[in-house]
Amino acid sequence: MTSTSLMMIILVILPFYSWCATPTVAANLSPANIDGLKAQFQTAMKSFSDVASMHYTLAGVKELGVVPPDTYCNDIKKLVDKSDVESIFHATEAARALANCKLPAEEYRALLTSTLQSDKSTTADVYHAVRASVNLGLNVDESRVEKRLNALAKTDDSVSSQGYALLTGAQLSQPIAKFYADTINDLVQQADEVDGRTLQYEGGVGTTALLVNAFYEVAEKAGVPVKIDPKQLIKFASYFSTKRHVATLRSAYYLTKVFKYLSDRKNTIPVVVSRTTPAAVSAQNPSVFVSVSNLFGQPVGEISVVAESAKRKEDGAVVISKQKLTAKDSTSSIFELPFYDAKIPRGFYTIHLTLTPRGDEKLIGLTDNTIEVKVTSEAALENAELNVADRDSTAQAKTHKLTYPNALSEKLDLHPHQKLIIKFQVKDKRTGEYVRTQQAFVRFTNKKSKKEIIYLAEAASGATAQYKAEIDLTSNAADFRYQSGAYDLVVIVGDSLLQNAFEWKVNDNVQLTFHEDSLADKNHQDLYLPRPEIIHQFRVEEKRPPTIVSLVFSALTLLPLLILLVSWLRLGFNLSGMPLGLSPLVFHVSHGAAFGLMFVYWKYLDMFQTIRYLALISIPLFLAGHRVLAILAARRETKA
Amino acid sequence: MSQVGQVVGILRKLNEEYQSSTPKKLKLIDAYLVYVLLTGIVQFAYCLLVGTFPFNSFLSGFISTVGCFVLAASLRIQLNKANQSVFNVSPERAFADFVFAHIILHLVVVNFIG
Repeated sequence: MTSTSLMMIILVILPFYSWCATPTVAANLSPANIDGLKAQFQTAMKSFSDVASMHYTLAGVKELGVVPPDTYCNDIKKLVDKSDVESIFHATEAARALANCKLPAEEYRALLTSTLQSDKSTTADVYHAVRASVNLGLNVDESRVEKRLNALAKTDDSVSSQGYALLTGAQLSQPIAKFYADTINDLVQQADEVDGRTLQYEGGVGTTALLVNAFYEVAEKAGVPVKIDPKQLIKFASYFSTKRHVATLRSAYYLTKVFKYLSDRKNTIPVVVSRTTPAAVSAQNPSVFVSVSNLFGQPVGEISVVAESAKRKEDGAVVISKQKLTAKDSTSSIFELPFYDAKIPRGFYTIHLTLTPRGDEKLIGLTDNTIEVKVTSEAALENAELNVADRDSTAQAKTHKLTYPNALSEKLDLHPHQKLIIKFQVKDKRTGEYVRTQQAFVRFTNKKSKKEIIYLAEAASGATAQYKAEIDLTSNAADFRYQSGAYDLVVIVGDSLLQNAFEWKVNDNVQLTFHEDSLADKNHQDLYLPRPEIIHQFRVEEKRPPTIVSLVFSALTLLPLLILLVSWLRLGFNLSGMPLGLSPLVFHVSHGAAFGLMFVYWKYLDMFQTIRYLALISIPLFLAGHRVLAILAARRETKA
Repeated sequence: MSQVGQVVGILRKLNEEYQSSTPKKLKLIDAYLVYVLLTGIVQFAYCLLVGTFPFNSFLSGFISTVGCFVLAASLRIQLNKANQSVFNVSPERAFADFVFAHIILHLVVVNFIG
């Protein structure tokens, strides 16, 4: 990414930073991604690989109002696995979604009956069998099913098992359904709370949606309203509304059903409040528009919206209080709050909204709704000037007064003993005060190499907030890598609360001259090019002395031997006392052999072989030596 | 001047004593000791001159001279009749020990010489 595009991003995105972002705020619900779910189903409809996908897609898309064509009936019959209860269940559900698809009930009767009679079937199996039977119009032995469910409730107390029990109850008679509807609250208590804001069940969105769907199904069959505490219902709704994309068709299907139940006028409806205008409030967009709907995005009936307060983020100042929003349309789903006002200074604001329904709708989530906006203003660059001064003396050589957006026409020539000073102020056009901005830079661009050198302009303290950037050609020379030449000079000013940002070309021919020789630019792109090849270098041999020296010293080492022999002879060394005979011979030979072995060891052998040979030699050596010494000892005895 | 003269006088006396009272056997061993010492000095001088590469060879050679010196010196001590009170070992036994120790010393030295 080049610096230019980076600058573009900073300049363009910052002032409109949250314009593209979906309005998701902490406590608020957001509308369900119905289009996304529909698209997910429609993509899946292009090709099916198994009955379960068919079930979820066809039934799901029907919930969203699209009737799938009957041509899928054949696919269902082809893909169903007659030996698997779950497969049969999916097949019957998928067939139910089509207008006219009849499945051969007799083929499945045996398996369904045996599943319901078996003691090994799980709660899910029981549900699948019961529902499939109901779909196919087969009779179900309700008392048996009830007994089986009771038995299962004792052995399997997992949440999903309880959910399937509820779903099964919804397929049976009303008293049974009512019994299960009364257990809804227990199940809700078993949900996990996350961050104090959402409720979910272990197993993710698919399981949670299946369970909440079960609540509504069984309550509907029982003819009673779903008894869930509104606070907990909001937390469930919060969890679901955060799921904008779900991975599996199963999750998508149950999520769709849950959204439908939560938007059904018969039930308690969580209300969704969201901002429809961009986050930035300015003279061009003076009002904030808010939409009020249910999770499906539909209006919720007559309702009045009041902005309780609008608090500024940085200091908590409250700017409006209990202001009613005006409805913009008859269905009471879009409301307007005029926000751009001389009394409201720029900044980031959090607006708290409260809703009051006029009808008798069972609405929840009416309080604790917040909207985030920012009030921006237009700015102007004023009192800009460029000074060229000597770095040693304070006397100014030259002052050029600048007016945005005009560039300085004359060429600037700077020498190493000079410094460049740029000063400017940023004024808020609405209030007339001088403001500090998040970005105030001075940029030099080397015309030849396009390299950029950027300096920060710092604001003086106080009300004047004058920005100043100082570039000294001797102390800052290293930043330019001592490259003398022509440069562009640009002033950049930007802020998230400013409507407009500035990229002002002050001068396009600034000649900078540096004392030192220029250094080449560091080529950052080379980081990813191949590096010079490393050729293995064998260890360099250590320097040895010349051969002559070694030879001389070898001779020198042998010299003392001569001296020894000479001195021994002088002392009267003789071999006259040497005993003759076998033993002495063997002794001397083996002794010599031992030393010979040393030489051979040095040249040819390793330690283990040497030890073995040495052991071999030392036997005669020891024996012979012992004998010789005994002879000598005896001789000494006789002499003495 | 007089100090040097004193030292020279002492040394001469020492030499005379030595020549007269030391048995021949011990003198032979002394000559051997001097030989070993000289060899060691030559080796050390070589190392100082040309550096310690290869260090193991230098060490092996030098240790060999030191070891021989020590063994010969101990043989001398054991053979010296004046020490008979302390060491009660026959000359043959001393010599046998000498030979045995030498074999081991040479084994180690040749192993290390590389």
